[in-house]
Amino acid sequence: MLSRVANNLYWMGRYIERAEHFARYSKEIYFSSLDAPIMKTYDRNFVLESMLYMTGIFDMEVENEKDVLYKIGLDPDNPNSIISILTIARENARGARNAISTDLWEAINKYYHLVNNYSVETYISTGFYDLTQIILEQTSIVQSKISGTLLHDEEWAIILMGMHIERVIQVIRIINSKLHDIYKIETAGHPVTEMSFEWTTMLRCTESFDMNRKFYRSIPNREQVLEFIMLNPQCPRSIAHSVNGIQKYLLKINSDDNSDTKSLTFKIGKLCAQYKYLTFEEFNNDIYALLNSTQDMVSEISSELEKKYLSF
Amino acid sequence: MKEQTLGILDSYTLENSHYDEIYSGLKQPRDHYVSMVERFNQLSLTDFERINNEVKTAFLNQGITFAVYAEDKKPDERIFPFDLFPRIIPNTEWMQLEKGVIQRNRAINLFLDDIYHDKKILKDKVVPSELIFSSKNYLKEMIGFKPEAGIYTHISGTDLIKHTDGQYYILEDNLRCPSGVSYVLSNRVALKKSLFELFDKLKTKAIYQYPEHLLEMLKSVKPKNTDNPTIVVVTPGMYNSAYFEHSFLAQKMGVQLVEGRDLFVDKDFVYMKTIYGPIKVDVIYRRVDDEFIDPLCFRKDSMLGVPGLMNAYRAGNVTLANAPGTGVADDKAVYHYVPDIIKYYLDEQPILNNVKTYHCENESEGKFVLENIDKLVVKPVDESGGYGITIGNKLTKAEIEEVKVRIKSNPRKYIAQPIMSLSVHATFIEESKEFEPRHIDLRTFSLMGKDDQYVLKGGLTRVALKKGNLIVNSSQGGGSKDTWVLD
Repeated sequence: MLSRVANNLYWMGRYIERAEHFARYSKEIYFSSLDAPIMKTYDRNFVLESMLYMTGIFDMEVENEKDVLYKIGLDPDNPNSIISILTIARENARGARNAISTDLWEAINKYYHLVNNYSVETYISTGFYDLTQIILEQTSIVQSKISGTLLHDEEWAIILMGMHIERVIQVIRIINSKLHDIYKIETAGHPVTEMSFEWTTMLRCTESFDMNRKFYRSIPNREQVLEFIMLNPQCPRSIAHSVNGIQKYLLKINSDDNSDTKSLTFKIGKLCAQYKYLTFEEFNNDIYALLNSTQDMVSEISSELEKKYLSF
Repeated sequence: MKEQTLGILDSYTLENSHYDEIYSGLKQPRDHYVSMVERFNQLSLTDFERINNEVKTAFLNQGITFAVYAEDKKPDERIFPFDLFPRIIPNTEWMQLEKGVIQRNRAINLFLDDIYHDKKILKDKVVPSELIFSSKNYLKEMIGFKPEAGIYTHISGTDLIKHTDGQYYILEDNLRCPSGVSYVLSNRVALKKSLFELFDKLKTKAIYQYPEHLLEMLKSVKPKNTDNPTIVVVTPGMYNSAYFEHSFLAQKMGVQLVEGRDLFVDKDFVYMKTIYGPIKVDVIYRRVDDEFIDPLCFRKDSMLGVPGLMNAYRAGNVTLANAPGTGVADDKAVYHYVPDIIKYYLDEQPILNNVKTYHCENESEGKFVLENIDKLVVKPVDESGGYGITIGNKLTKAEIEEVKVRIKSNPRKYIAQPIMSLSVHATFIEESKEFEPRHIDLRTFSLMGKDDQYVLKGGLTRVALKKGNLIVNSSQGGGSKDTWVLD
């Protein structure tokens, strides 16, 4: 596999994953807020700021809801809008066109055109739900083409590694963003008993609500939600599951010596082991420290991967 | 019972000034078109438009598109217009074309070998030597070098038209990086999916084998020192207008698509940069023009090439298809001599007609051209894509004067030909929702390997969609049709 093509595939995986998280987060935050029990969450500006925060915009004056929807969805001038992310995902797929199957290419290309040709007018007036739903569905199609129409070789592993690295980063962002919201609500003096709504939203943002219910069979609370989406290796959206994924796909392409503490295999192995044996009580007091160190380690793995394989 | 209505072809009007491919007279299709016309006439306009739209969406989703760049705007992505009514060529007619194209390409290949070695044809004054030596496409780097198996033009595209007399004429040879074959294959797939019933009545020859033949041909010209060659397709990159084709061919052959920056030369061998280190490359189907392939040899500012590639090539360690320097033979001024070239090397009469060509640098012919610009097509000899062409009867007086000035300033640069009348073919026009006659031509695709020559059955039928327009190039608003050679 050409290094340039590996680079294309890696970023294609990352951006496809990123678009999905942005779309789901915005959709869940927005629609759950419409009849939220807590006044703070019900406040439009609070919701819109949260959506902007997730996409990395911290300084936009929220005046008009439609502007925010446009900015995060279809604004080609915002490099973090969903359409910008998809444009890059598709350009990367195009650059690796002959490394991927025709089925996968057409799925990505069709996905891009569906979003790119979506009427801005419709989107900001009545189409917000519809468009985010299209994105989630198209992502599923792309994922099934990745698993079902590609040879499960290094190229396939690079795409999936990109997706899992991005998933860790985005799940951490979602947790951070929701913890940030919850902190604002708590400091405004709301009773903790009303918080199940916020924890449910955090689960929905990571598509883990149904799985969580099935696992705990009780109303979501802080411990059960954080434990689930951080530590549960059976939940495909959890950090533990995603770091295991990174390790699995990395071993497909990388065979360096894992006794060398500087090697990629050592680093990812250590991260997996940390998540395997961690308990909620151990990180509950300083959750941000864990999220930050995990994010740093994944970024380090990503940049070493780029240095070692994706550039020549 | 279905209501009896007019068929969608019944309102078609004939233009008597051109050869109509389908009709010999009003509502009288030629024999080989009868059942196709019948089938199309069974479709309602609503059905036809629905199918037409489905096909357009399918092309968009497959990425068979080109980008139109405008300032301050997102690039507009457009599909290449595809007309659903196929162009049909009877088998006997095709056999003659195929024989003619093979003959022509064999002679041209011998001609290239000669002008880069003994130059016999120039010494015998069959072709004027100044015509060759003044061409910027004649590469001194190729003098005395013999490519593997003596093949220069591995892939060639020959453009043909049918004139009012019902005869085919060669319009030009494309011996550098002829493009369009991916559209031939994609058009066929699109037509099969959308109007599958057409294939019941008439049997067309298959064309899907082209990438297989291309791969075999590339293997057959591998360097001698290698057994199992690594083959790559080199593209200028994904912003090139033919990128779809480059990736299409690489994928269909199962070989790696690379850019110049993915390759490097070390000790006269070519390698590609992979995640596990360098891998040697043996055969390069390059879709980058001569002047860009090696910045050490040709254009120093080229970002698309591979420094040192020409040395590796001349050392016999890598095969380039096509060979560098073939452009000297598809020069529009050399075109005129191709019939003589065929007679000279093969001792055969040319099977296919050439269009009469006037050279502006020849004193008497140049004088004739300057006096008859209104009746002639004037073409620059070294441009492609239909650029710089003027068609005499479409020019104003002032424009004629401008053309004269251009010719006088550089007569070597221009040739002129009588205005050939391209045949017309019923083509669906979206604005009028009717089939109307539009001019078409045909580009055939031929491969020349070590022991084998192959011509794709049919080729790319290009359509000038603008009414009355004779220029069919896709860069200038042309579309295409599926081309059937009857079995």
